[in-house]
Amino acid sequence: MTLLEVRALDAFYGDFQALFGLTLDVRVGETVALVGANGAGKTTFLKCLVGLIGTKRGEIRFSGDEIGRKPAEHIAQLGLSLVPEGRLLFPSLTVEENLLMGALNRRPGSWTLETVYDLFPILRERRRLSPNALSGGQQHMVAIGRALMANPKLLLCDEISLGLAPLVIEQIYRSFARVRADGASIVLVEQDVKRATAAADRVYCLLKGRVTLEGGARELGLDELSRAYFGT
Amino acid sequence: MIWIETIVNGILVGGLYGLLGVGLALIVGVMRVVNVSHGEFMVLSAFMGVSLAGTMPWLHPAALLVPILVIFFGLGYALQAVLINRIITRPDPFAAILLTFGLAVVMRNLMLEGFGADPRTLTAGTLAQASVPILGLAIGVLPLLVLGVSVVLFVALQLVLTRTRLGRIVRATADNRDVARLMGVNPAHVYNIVMGLSLALASVAGLLLAIRSSFTAYTGVERLLIAFEVVVLGGLGSFWGAMLGGILLGVVQLVGLKFDPNAGPLYAHLLFFVGVLLRPNGLFGARA
Repeated sequence: MTLLEVRALDAFYGDFQALFGLTLDVRVGETVALVGANGAGKTTFLKCLVGLIGTKRGEIRFSGDEIGRKPAEHIAQLGLSLVPEGRLLFPSLTVEENLLMGALNRRPGSWTLETVYDLFPILRERRRLSPNALSGGQQHMVAIGRALMANPKLLLCDEISLGLAPLVIEQIYRSFARVRADGASIVLVEQDVKRATAAADRVYCLLKGRVTLEGGARELGLDELSRAYFGT
Repeated sequence: MIWIETIVNGILVGGLYGLLGVGLALIVGVMRVVNVSHGEFMVLSAFMGVSLAGTMPWLHPAALLVPILVIFFGLGYALQAVLINRIITRPDPFAAILLTFGLAVVMRNLMLEGFGADPRTLTAGTLAQASVPILGLAIGVLPLLVLGVSVVLFVALQLVLTRTRLGRIVRATADNRDVARLMGVNPAHVYNIVMGLSLALASVAGLLLAIRSSFTAYTGVERLLIAFEVVVLGGLGSFWGAMLGGILLGVVQLVGLKFDPNAGPLYAHLLFFVGVLLRPNGLFGARA
């Protein structure tokens, strides 16, 4: 069952074309890694999915519905959640209030304030603090928790391992087991190819706005990936 | 003794000035929009108050507060939904200023047409003369009530913003509009409500100010100036700062008038000037 179907997606920032004919699938319950260098178009792609890119062509189908023309606030209600690059927490809100914002359009599911705190116990201690008082890893936990609070069908994670200590990244990636157990699909956008492919079922590689490689995570060789990543 | 009384009266009127500013601080903080017609809405509310009091002389002026508040919430909502939301997504900050400037001019002239050029005041009857002795000073009952109303509204606003779901949504949208959209928030709707709140607060301030001093269709500019000074003096985005800024302006204004009865609002403006020189980001803004 295909949850997300993207066909021939072109995306533009003004006159600048960032994505060229992107075609991609995500099945129900699957974890897909999207890897590529800086500027390859990974974040642009995620922004297209959630409705933050205005100028685009092509098809984006989520659970069968065409969502390419919908505004971000409608798409939020359909079951797509984004953990944005740079976390982008609300600084005027406490940790708990940030999590509650994620639950604004919650679908029925197992993720509540309590279960998020069970997943990341340190957040329960720091629930009344401003996000600025937290470490980078803890802020990532809040960002992920906020996305989970909506009980998404598809969780989109943009560079969540960037700038974090390996132990913290471990903890965060381990939390995905819970997400998968709930039947949700995950798209992991990472520059760290090893970690992303280890956690994923399938991998897409992006270079300069185009898909250069696609395959099962265990099947792709390092050489192949390298070529697709750097374009050599 | 007379000085202490003056200072106390300054605090009382300062609370009202703070209320004038808080409405403006709200929309500047949430939408980065300066509503140049903020003063005109205050004057409109005063004209409405006078008209309503005229048609219903049996009604105590205090009873006007709630209906006017509700009407102006609606006006604010409509203003944002119909006019300002059209230009708010543009990166140019002047778009909103120009639009509201034009609106202010139109409103001034419509009010002149509709209500005439005579200065008006809102009378509070015997309440205006009543005073209570507190600690040996004669404090006016009306100014106390006005301060009371200002504080109640101010606290209510703070509570709405910090303790309610709506307040959470407003603060989140002010922080990052796009990420708020990712959570399902419709920013246009949030802005409508915030503008409604802003004009509701302005309407009460305008009504209360009209009891203290007379007004004409042109008084809006003066009112806007006070609101603007209060917001900047207090620090952009700080509500307590706006309240404190208002009180400071009020005290300096009245003390200055005692020294120099012909000065008009000079001393308040001087305080603003000095304040901005010393603390360009305002009392509660970040240290420059």
